Amino acid sequence: MRQLIERGDHKAAVEQAKDIHRASRSGASEALLVDAYAARIEELRRRNLTLEAQALVDLVCKRYPSAKRRFAELPRAAQGRAPSLVDLVRPLADPMVDADKRLAIEQALQREVTDLSALASCETLPAAHPLRQAAAALDRAFTAVTSGPVAEEALLLPEVSHRSPLAAWKLLIKAIAAFHRGDDDACQQFLDRIKPDSAPARLVPPLQAMMRNQGTGCHPAAKALISVITSERAAFQRALDDLEQAFTSGRRSRILKAIRAAVQACEQSAPAQLESLRQHISIRAAAADLDPMKVRAAMGGPSRHDATFLQLFARAMEEARDPEKISLACHLWEEFKQAAVKEGWFAVNGAEAAALALRIAGLLQQLPDDLLQELQWSAEAKAKKTGETFSYLYPEQMYQRACALDPHPAAFSQWMQWAARRSDAQAERVAEAWHKLRSRDIEPLVHLLRATEARGAFKLALGYLTKTEQIDGLHAEVRDARFRILVKSALRHLERKKPHLAADDVGAGAALPQAQQGDRPAIVAALRTVTSAACGQTDAVDVARAEVEHALQSEGAAALLIFSLASASKQRAVQQRWPLGRPARRERSSMPMAVARVAVLCADVGVPLEVPRAWLTEVARQLTESQHLLDVVQLHVLGEAACQADHLELAYAASAAGLERGGATDPGFLFLRARSVILPEPDRCLVCASAAAELARHARETELVENAVELCRTLAGFDGALPLTLDQARDVLGREKAARKPPRGSHSGPSYDDLLGAPCQCAVCRRRRGEGVDPFEELDEEDDPFDMDIPPGMPPAIAEIFIEVAKEAAARGQSLEEFMADPLNEPPRPKRRRKKGRRW
Amino acid sequence: MEPAEILGVPDQATDEEIRAAYLRRVRECPPDRSPEEFERIRDAYETLCDPRRRLHHRLFSVDPTLSLAARFARHAPERRFVGPGPWLDVLKGQ
Repeated sequence: MRQLIERGDHKAAVEQAKDIHRASRSGASEALLVDAYAARIEELRRRNLTLEAQALVDLVCKRYPSAKRRFAELPRAAQGRAPSLVDLVRPLADPMVDADKRLAIEQALQREVTDLSALASCETLPAAHPLRQAAAALDRAFTAVTSGPVAEEALLLPEVSHRSPLAAWKLLIKAIAAFHRGDDDACQQFLDRIKPDSAPARLVPPLQAMMRNQGTGCHPAAKALISVITSERAAFQRALDDLEQAFTSGRRSRILKAIRAAVQACEQSAPAQLESLRQHISIRAAAADLDPMKVRAAMGGPSRHDATFLQLFARAMEEARDPEKISLACHLWEEFKQAAVKEGWFAVNGAEAAALALRIAGLLQQLPDDLLQELQWSAEAKAKKTGETFSYLYPEQMYQRACALDPHPAAFSQWMQWAARRSDAQAERVAEAWHKLRSRDIEPLVHLLRATEARGAFKLALGYLTKTEQIDGLHAEVRDARFRILVKSALRHLERKKPHLAADDVGAGAALPQAQQGDRPAIVAALRTVTSAACGQTDAVDVARAEVEHALQSEGAAALLIFSLASASKQRAVQQRWPLGRPARRERSSMPMAVARVAVLCADVGVPLEVPRAWLTEVARQLTESQHLLDVVQLHVLGEAACQADHLELAYAASAAGLERGGATDPGFLFLRARSVILPEPDRCLVCASAAAELARHARETELVENAVELCRTLAGFDGALPLTLDQARDVLGREKAARKPPRGSHSGPSYDDLLGAPCQCAVCRRRRGEGVDPFEELDEEDDPFDMDIPPGMPPAIAEIFIEVAKEAAARGQSLEEFMADPLNEPPRPKRRRKKGRRW
Repeated sequence: MEPAEILGVPDQATDEEIRAAYLRRVRECPPDRSPEEFERIRDAYETLCDPRRRLHHRLFSVDPTLSLAARFARHAPERRFVGPGPWLDVLKGQ
């Protein structure tokens, strides 16, 4: 082998050394092989094949660690100048090139090649050489992937196998594509597979830095790359932020300047969004009342007024919450519909058009009546001249259009609610239209049933009731309606002096199964009593009356029920025959139960209860003793009847009895308590009603909440209910439960100063509370033109004259000094009238 | 974010596609692990699966109060295509 080296046949020497080392596998054989390689490397170096020399050094060092120290002593510079790419790849043109040499060259290519185009056009290799083909494909892909979005197919690169020295480039290209796609996970996976000693690995740190939004600690070139890739979005963001701040500032010159900057930034970084940005700017500028021409100039052109623009403009006007702008929104939605249909968003008669009509109708409801009327008048005048239609200004037409295009229950329901606010007749018409188009919907039928019953059209009501029963016989509004309507019909016939028709109604009512429930047999019998009396059937009257007494087990209750029915049907003869005098002594203890049962019956069929005040007083007196006999419904109805008759003592007693029961009815009885103390203790009433509202809200009793809040508004104006917490409301409930006795004389109910806050210190309120009031306190500050002190001890009447004269002096232009020098230079006027507003 | 974007379906997706996307997203973000994201997914599904709500959303959900930056900045490319030059500068160590 040494001889071979000396002869200069280094290649053969290496082969010989390899054979020896394969055979012996000793340290000496390895040293011999390294010597052979060293000679070969030296030869390459002498031939200026430095790159190959270095590749062979790396290979030997990798395979034989003992060679590392030997070759490490060889400075890299000493290895000669960097070989050209042409020289490096030249041996690969020979298909029979030595495997080690090929490997060394490929490793060098993997490590050093940064110019794919140079490799692709390297003429030392044949044009069809796989390395040139791979380099060309990679060069094209790299240019494409760094210049714009690339399809997946373009990244397959079948020319580059995973064994290729350029395989790392393929991974890099895929990583860059994933990076631009925003798929950072995939990008990281490709980066992980790039060999660390390959040339493409130099791009791994900047790519990772960009994915982590970091740009520090990188090579200057990498920093430049990061900056150029990520800076444009930041600049656009800054321009938009500046424009937003400019709009907030309201300074027109600043806004126009910011518009110019934002449009310019958009042109550079998101040109596809420029039109949309112009539209948004136009709308914001319109809202800020900027000159449209100046805005157009700042934007570099007008914005496109298409459906998107009109939709956004309409929404912006809706959000402005200004009546003028809301009316503009209606107009814009109408224009949007036309533009959208033209642009093919939806059909002219589709569900979208219906939704828009409903939207416009809803917006019109937000407008004050006078403004809407004014708009309609001017539209009518314009329509006469131009023939234009302005249906979007008429809610009824909008609802009609919506329901015709898309007859959905929600649309009809909105239409009916709107109509109900205008008039019962209009609501009834809408319900009829609804029922005509959607005969299986129960809501219009229930409305028609209620409406016709309310206006006394009982025959029509029974017709609607029959239809409703066919759809849902168990509906809450339906279950007892027939019995109630027949009772009312009978009373109406009696009132119209048609007792035979009333008798038919009573017969039909009595035949219903509902007529047998609870105390209803009593009401049937009471109706028979009145009807028979009207027909002059004396025997039948006595029998029927006996039936009433039997059903109610009380002469007093029977008398009260017959009296109430006779009163409702205007049967004076019956009222005179059985007048309600003082209750018999033996009946007094059972009065609460008797009145409660009749009150429940009358409430059940919607007949007003006629109870003499003496009876109510007696009920209030007896209630403490007999309250345990009444259920909560009876107590509640009794309380309601007391409130209707302004018998607050009984209302209080009923509330006390109800509150004692506790449970779910507490909010209702607390509200009754509030109503029972409204006159003697308005503050307590306010607290109780507020607490009842809070408790009812917690129990989701919406009707009770509304009633309680309404009462609070009556007492405290627009502020309404006190802002009590649930715990405070429960505390109020506890205090009211403890207050069983009604306020009377000096005895008052619980104090709620802690909830009401400090009492009002104005003279009026202090006088109401019985506190001493300085007479001059009632004079308004504006009454005193010179802001002077009233001399102490001056009588109020004189003080008023004094102030009056001072005002006249001030009106004449006198100063305080001039006035004080001669305060009575004008004859004093008669005592001035106190301001109306100050009276209590 | 639009309901279709939340579920990852195209605007014109069919009911079956919406349902499948909803189930996939719920598997990704179950309510016990990401309750807020699950709420968003459920709201998006309820909007898309009801034609009436979907229509209403399409017509009236445009938010004119959204800031310009929030509306447009996301449209600007977060990662700009700069061509091969700056990338090669890093590779060549310049």
